[in-house]
Amino acid sequence: MHQAGNGRGGDSRMKFDALTEEHLDALREVSNIGVAHAATALSQLIGRSISLSVPKVLLTDIARVPEVFGGAEKLVVGIYLQMLGDARGNILIVLPRESALKLLARLLPREKSEGALLTELEISALKEVGNILASAYLNALGTLMGKTLIPSVPVLSFDMAGAVIDYVLIELGEVGDLALMVETDFFGEEERINGQFFLLPDPESLKIILNAIGVKL
Amino acid sequence: MSKIISIGISEYRVAFAPAVLVTYGLGSCVGIALYDPDARAGGLAHTLLPAPVREVEMVEKTAKFTCWAVELMVEELVKCGCAPGRLVAKLAGGATMFEPQYRSTHGGIGERNVAAARAALERSGIPLVAEDTGGDYGRSLEFSTATGIIMVRALQQPIRQI
Repeated sequence: MHQAGNGRGGDSRMKFDALTEEHLDALREVSNIGVAHAATALSQLIGRSISLSVPKVLLTDIARVPEVFGGAEKLVVGIYLQMLGDARGNILIVLPRESALKLLARLLPREKSEGALLTELEISALKEVGNILASAYLNALGTLMGKTLIPSVPVLSFDMAGAVIDYVLIELGEVGDLALMVETDFFGEEERINGQFFLLPDPESLKIILNAIGVKL
Repeated sequence: MSKIISIGISEYRVAFAPAVLVTYGLGSCVGIALYDPDARAGGLAHTLLPAPVREVEMVEKTAKFTCWAVELMVEELVKCGCAPGRLVAKLAGGATMFEPQYRSTHGGIGERNVAAARAALERSGIPLVAEDTGGDYGRSLEFSTATGIIMVRALQQPIRQI
């Protein structure tokens, strides 16, 4: 079932299953730089040091994507943005519920909301976190590529991971059965704030990114 | 203990009683259940997209597409000895998970999935007997092939049976 795209004949799309180790390494490297900037921005925002893992580049069957997020039923905050400009794709920042609440405790005056749902203010604060992370990431990536990349306005959903991410798979599903994800885990050093940053480039944009960073296709 | 069969995005399975077909975290995806109460057999699909955007002949017929999931399950159920005339259908999912800011690009995908499922059922002449669709929250389904009942669980919502 590993058919990446039905695109045939002189397509500008990069077939995900045609990616070599070298391509994946290059993606990992550019992502590393993007995420470093994002982590710095987040550290400044919350006044706590945030570390990050070396990014992983995952090529996954769409049906298996929820497992990457820790299972389809795990409760998460998903902050979704589109990558716009010279290359397009989706960005999804996934925070486990507990981490989102810890992050909020650092950002907002302490008035704990009743119940499990997030208040308007909390949603707005988390969207801003998403905006800052994505802007820092795309700015670094764009600079490296010599291209302009900007994030869209963020939207947020607090629900089961499977439900949060299926939206992101729509475009990928239209062209193939594989999802290419660049995943980075970030975590606070003093308290456990962790999350995942995912970039899911469109097949066309993947080609643009690889070309811009000088990788032979 | 009944056997539990888990279905991922763009997959479907059919099974006999007492198997329980489950799928977790449906957002804008739709869960389509078909049931033959006499044979006590059913099928469950977790579809992602209403229909292919490009020429249909070039795309593999899979349960990724709502428009084909019904047909695929009916074929499989008939092979297992079910009668097409006895089949009934239930739908769940098709939510709008994010604020409708991106409607221009993803144009109410949840609603379109539900509409595609209804159309596919109508084409196959299978009556839709229950549904729990729409809203802005995710759903998990447990479909008992022994009873034909689906338990729908969602965050912040009471458990529903359809």
